[in-house]
Amino acid sequence: MLKVRNLSSGYGNVQIIWDASFEVRDGEVVAILGSNGAGKTTLVRTVTGMIHPKSGSIDFDGDELCGKPSRYILDKGIVQVPEGRQLFTEMTVYENLEMGAFSKEAKAKLQESLEFVYKWFPKLKERKSQAAGTLSGGEQQMVAVGRALIGLPKLLILDEPSLGLAPNIVDDILSVAHSMAKEQGLSVILVEQDITKALAMSDRGYVVENGRIALEGTAEELGKNEHVKKAYLGI
Amino acid sequence: MEIFLQACVNGLLIGGFYSLMGMGQNIIFGVMKIINFCHGEMLMIGMYLTFVFNTFFGIDPYLSIPLVALCMFGLGALIQHTLITPSLGTKSFTNLLFLTVGLGILFQNLALVIFSPNYRTITTSYSSITVHLGPVTMALPKLISFIALIIITIALFWFLKYTSTGKKIRAVSQNPIGAEVVGINSKRIYIITYGLGCALAGVAGALLTLFYMVYPMVGSSFGFKALIVVVVGGFGSIQGAFCAGIFLGLLETLSSLIVGPTYRDLTVFVTFIVILVVRQIIILRRR
Repeated sequence: MLKVRNLSSGYGNVQIIWDASFEVRDGEVVAILGSNGAGKTTLVRTVTGMIHPKSGSIDFDGDELCGKPSRYILDKGIVQVPEGRQLFTEMTVYENLEMGAFSKEAKAKLQESLEFVYKWFPKLKERKSQAAGTLSGGEQQMVAVGRALIGLPKLLILDEPSLGLAPNIVDDILSVAHSMAKEQGLSVILVEQDITKALAMSDRGYVVENGRIALEGTAEELGKNEHVKKAYLGI
Repeated sequence: MEIFLQACVNGLLIGGFYSLMGMGQNIIFGVMKIINFCHGEMLMIGMYLTFVFNTFFGIDPYLSIPLVALCMFGLGALIQHTLITPSLGTKSFTNLLFLTVGLGILFQNLALVIFSPNYRTITTSYSSITVHLGPVTMALPKLISFIALIIITIALFWFLKYTSTGKKIRAVSQNPIGAEVVGINSKRIYIITYGLGCALAGVAGALLTLFYMVYPMVGSSFGFKALIVVVVGGFGSIQGAFCAGIFLGLLETLSSLIVGPTYRDLTVFVTFIVILVVRQIIILRRR
């Protein structure tokens, strides 16, 4: 569904992503792995239109998204859970979720989508009138994922969901993303530094090093790869 | 006791104006992180608009409020779209400082050219009617303005809390990146926000016209008071600006009653400095 070809991008004159190509198929969980500063978040921001690419193409179900504004891309169904969650901290959980309904379709289906989100994250229903800033880190991450789901994504991008969270909460959130891909046919891009956890939940993966795609393969292949083992898993 | 009550009522009224000005300033600051140094001039333009509508078209000052609000919203939206949004891109605080200060000077001088420096007033059939509320006597226009201030403040809170646009304004002011992630068109929100801020100042001007003189420099003292309200109430906090505005109004009238009108501004600024110092100490202690 998403085919990225020879993508280059960066901030101003500083080029960060060099000639990146990757692909996400329907109902697949794809991990984008790499250490801090490898360019993972820049890659995500380019795909979601928050940074304009210098060259390359982004094909999404036949639509060319390269150079399109973020609102257009959001409308096409690529929704991200940004790094650091980026919630509206003084607004209630309910208001945060509500803000996720961007398209007309999402607005019309708001009640239905809310029930869906509450089913996956029952805690959010209990806390719906609480200010988002008063929640724990894990609950805030749930709000961020919930807010993205309200936007009725076809492709959900999770940017570093594990950042600053306890390991068991990370497992919860990743397994929700995994089950959603498998049960609802949603495609997921999982951007992670925690390679062991990410590979356990994904079908395929790409390793980003210095702004280039250094390796690609199925989760199993990458887990066995000598370079990955040495550089990232410490074995 | 009666004088005291009278002063309180007057203080609440003048405080309502400061609140309205401060809240407009704070909505703009919250969303764009800029200080609108021509906010007082927006009040002045609102006053002149009311004056023109009344003198030349015979429209009652209170009925002209929606018209003034609309004109001021349009003016604000135009300024935002053509001048402020392009300057925001440069990420330079000084550009925006010069821009809004410059606009203020421009508007003052335009008013000077068009209307001359003479003091203008408008009178209506009900200008001189007074109302007795228990021990307190109040001119009817002041009472109407006071009620209008309350209604507008409630409407503003309602707008920000429950409408879709209001929620988007809060969202952009709390987290601009999050707002982009959920597809809020920030530039559109900027235009609405600045227009709204100007409309609030303009409406404050319209409400003020019946019992205050209109002249080109009338905005500067109100604009300055709005800044105090914003600093005391907390940058970006609408509720804070509301409370600080009422407090400032009460402080002004009560201090002229108790310490004497000569020392009114002195009392206000000393209190202002004390509040800032005390707050700083509290913040430092907490760390």
